[in-house]
Amino acid sequence: MNNEAVLQAGAATLHVAGDHGEAHHHHKQSFITKYIFSQDHKTIGKQFLITGIIWALIGGFMSVLFRLQLGFPDTSFPWLSTVIGHWAKDGHITAEAYYSLTTIHGTVMIFFVLTGGLSGTFANFLIPLQIGARDMASPLMNMLSYWFFFTASVIMLSSFFVETGPFAGGWTAYPPLSALGDASPGSKTGMDLWLASLILFVVSQLLAGLNYISTVLNMRTKGMSMMRMPLSTWGVFLQAVLGVLSFPVLFAGFILLIFDRHFGTSFYLSDIYIQGVGALPHEGGNAILYQHLFWFLGHPEVYIVILPAMGIVSEVMSTNGRKPIFGYSAMVMSMFAIVVLAFLVWAHHMFVTGMNPFLGSIFVLLTLLIAVPSAIKVFNWLTTLWKGNLRFTPGMLFAIGFVSVFISGGLTGIYTGNSAIDIHIHDTYFIIAHFHLVMGVAAFFGMFCGVYHWFPKMYGRHMNNTLGYIHFWVTLVGAYLIFWPMHYEGLAGMPRRYYDYSSWESFKQFVELNRFISICVIITFAAQFLFLFNFFHSIFKGRKLTVKNPWKSNALEWTTPINVGHGNWPGEIPEVHRWPYDYSKDGHDFIPQTVPVGEEDNPLYTSAEFTGIKVEEEPAKAHKKAHA
Amino acid sequence: MSNLEQLESGGHTHAHAFDSKKVKREIWRITLYLSILTVVELILGFIMMPWPEDSLKRHLVKGLVMALMLWKAFYIIGYFMHLRHEVRNMIMVISIPSILFVWFIAAFLGDGQSYKDLRARMDPYHVEHAQLPMEFPAEEGHEGHETPEVHKMEAPAATPAPAAAGTDTSKKAE
Amino acid sequence: MAHTAAIHTEKPSKWSGGSSPFKVEYGKLMMWFFLLSDSFTFGALLISYGTTRFATIGWPDPNVAFNKFPGISANAPLAFVSLMTFILIISSVTMVLAVQAGKEMNKKDVVRYLILTIIGGLIFLGCQAWEWTHLFHEGAWWGANPFANSNGTQSTQNFTNFFFTITGFHGFHVFSGVCINVIMLIMTLCNKFEQRGHYLMIEKAGLYWHFVDLVWVFVFTCFYLV
Repeated sequence: MNNEAVLQAGAATLHVAGDHGEAHHHHKQSFITKYIFSQDHKTIGKQFLITGIIWALIGGFMSVLFRLQLGFPDTSFPWLSTVIGHWAKDGHITAEAYYSLTTIHGTVMIFFVLTGGLSGTFANFLIPLQIGARDMASPLMNMLSYWFFFTASVIMLSSFFVETGPFAGGWTAYPPLSALGDASPGSKTGMDLWLASLILFVVSQLLAGLNYISTVLNMRTKGMSMMRMPLSTWGVFLQAVLGVLSFPVLFAGFILLIFDRHFGTSFYLSDIYIQGVGALPHEGGNAILYQHLFWFLGHPEVYIVILPAMGIVSEVMSTNGRKPIFGYSAMVMSMFAIVVLAFLVWAHHMFVTGMNPFLGSIFVLLTLLIAVPSAIKVFNWLTTLWKGNLRFTPGMLFAIGFVSVFISGGLTGIYTGNSAIDIHIHDTYFIIAHFHLVMGVAAFFGMFCGVYHWFPKMYGRHMNNTLGYIHFWVTLVGAYLIFWPMHYEGLAGMPRRYYDYSSWESFKQFVELNRFISICVIITFAAQFLFLFNFFHSIFKGRKLTVKNPWKSNALEWTTPINVGHGNWPGEIPEVHRWPYDYSKDGHDFIPQTVPVGEEDNPLYTSAEFTGIKVEEEPAKAHKKAHA
Repeated sequence: MSNLEQLESGGHTHAHAFDSKKVKREIWRITLYLSILTVVELILGFIMMPWPEDSLKRHLVKGLVMALMLWKAFYIIGYFMHLRHEVRNMIMVISIPSILFVWFIAAFLGDGQSYKDLRARMDPYHVEHAQLPMEFPAEEGHEGHETPEVHKMEAPAATPAPAAAGTDTSKKAE
Repeated sequence: MAHTAAIHTEKPSKWSGGSSPFKVEYGKLMMWFFLLSDSFTFGALLISYGTTRFATIGWPDPNVAFNKFPGISANAPLAFVSLMTFILIISSVTMVLAVQAGKEMNKKDVVRYLILTIIGGLIFLGCQAWEWTHLFHEGAWWGANPFANSNGTQSTQNFTNFFFTITGFHGFHVFSGVCINVIMLIMTLCNKFEQRGHYLMIEKAGLYWHFVDLVWVFVFTCFYLV
């Protein structure tokens, strides 16, 4: 096959030692090469997933801690001192710790969980399986990308344990808080570690992104044209395009920031006066420059987070709705439009910086344009569901939940995108509510949706559905109860990033509401342990898969055997003859992509064996035997 | 495996790739063009040197130099990096994302200009301050710098000296 | 559905899978995308420089700051940097000749041109080292700018800050390019590419080297000319 020729040629070009090419022949692998320094895209995807889950736990626990402070500012929790030591004096989280918690919560959730954990997982796991390739274009770079990500994680984690604490200037790291070591305790070593961690993260994203793009463009199997790829592949492909073009700008911004911190420059520092430090000798710098550079990444970043979720949701929704996805090309085109617009709108995060109002109005116009592709996608999801024969698996529930929170959070985006309204609600809880719903919760729902849907492919076992349903409903209701009231707080002017609101008369009215939100946070966070238990328990004890294609899906990944090894298909890579959304067509429940056009009724292609719904006996054991 | 062979020739027909003389002639032709463009740029640079800053003709020449820069970039990308001889899809995939630079540059520079204008309006002292002549030898914050770090200077790219300009900065850099 | 019917029509095209739509192997594609992404890094740095320059009242005249040539005490603006530019262009030419020799499987020429390219790169780095040393002795460094604005008023440090950061970052790229070329040279001498039957690696190294030259075109114009 041509594909293999390309892969082999590529592998030979990349590896001087040439030992990689053998990886496709099932030779014995040690524990380390199989599970730790694995070059199998499926294992790397699982590594990203589990690292992401650990980070989500840490980030979620941080939000519980600072919500405790916001909900119960007067109550003392002696156990806090046990957990976080001197960061909680007398059972109260200190102000420095509070700011560190919010900062690291943001950084971790955006970068490590929703970028690394979500797109890292599904891009790695799905791209080769869904386009019909043996592995990524460069498995070695793929492995390096995970280990750069891992190192970045370790460095970020280590910043929790330095004496002055982790960085506390907000996840956006605006100067002067990030540029001046004396600005706050967290701006010292904590900030250096934060920068080191994120630079390694950028390297990881570039290695990964280049790989995803070249794999999708170059290594599709025969017949898998771009417009026959599942939307989940489109989502991760386009997020890689975003990442490859926008992360370098953040990298450049960080280089300048490092010089400002350590080499006496003043790229971002103007002649300001700081209490305790005095007037700075810096001249000519401009903190707005950093904001521009940051948001040139920062805005595409939210689409890096949401595009994979959109793709996953489209795929799961069509499969479980037993209907073709409505408007496939419109879906692809609107994702394209989002990618292009993502690079044109960054300054809508900066309306209150004193940016040129005329420039601001152009950014308003471009920002509001994003509503068009987003709305197209929402309508397409709703029409895909319309009159479908819905199967309410946990994955499907999360897909529907995704659409719900995406609409709720997206509508407020139209408000916040207008500079006139944004000047009032900027930096209030309205913004928190907006971006958590549209991008935080929505992307998490996409991630859960993907995990529930592809867990059988990942581990050859099923997750428990009942636990999945409970998890879904508590999370959905909890997310709305947490973030919906924040809109009201924000409209009333309650600013974000404050440690304590109790001394403002105008915010006294929200004491009860804040307590309510905090309680909801704790319950919702606790519900995630159901998912954790379900996930890890099912890996080892879940119901074993008896058929290759448990969801009766058309996509190519379900034509591989259960628990498939490195190389994905034991024999030839199948050829593709149609798009992946032929559900309920011409009297067939589903027609896999590998069925030639016009051969739908051929018994060869309708057999249970071919479509992957034949019950196999003890698949795991048979597989183990075959691979021993 | 015919695919692999095709790849080895760099994606070209063999006739083209191995028409060595023609290719080399093209390389030297492009070298000549690049040299001529550079010389023209330098001549323009010398011509505008005595012209006052902020004069219209100087701005026009600067714009011309920028255009020549893009022209040179076109030759390097198109011929040295061989993009002109790739298939059309490849050219599009590389060149279309570069269009993003247009808005990238326009918005950034526009906001830089606006920062200067707004600050000049809101903070007249800043403008006044900018009219002061520079003092030589530089005294505020620049002194105390030359002597101590000279020995560290030998390897500039590897370990840049912590350019502690004055006490305040060194305190900051801690 | 008319829509699905359209998707089903079998129409072989470059994009229909089974081969690269660009007729290039993935490594070259990856190198191109890396360079595209690296151009955003350099673009961001240069645009930051431009933004700061637009946001600042007055700016030093580069012809006054960069007016020395080694061994000549007279005022010689643009001379030294022109020399550096030509060195880089020539090394780019030798690189493209090395790539061409690789396509023709001509090991001797590959080695010869690679050595010339490496020498060109090293001379460029030497020139940069001389320039930096000279500027440092004039009192210019990160955080210190001895040059007044072109109208004699107080200038900002950002003139030298950006100069050293961006030329330093470019110099770092030249340095890594030289390292890559040395590795290519060793691999060629060890007959690695002869054994593989192709010199595709040289082509990728060449792309990187030309990119370094390309960036210099922009750095040269933005810092020294305008």
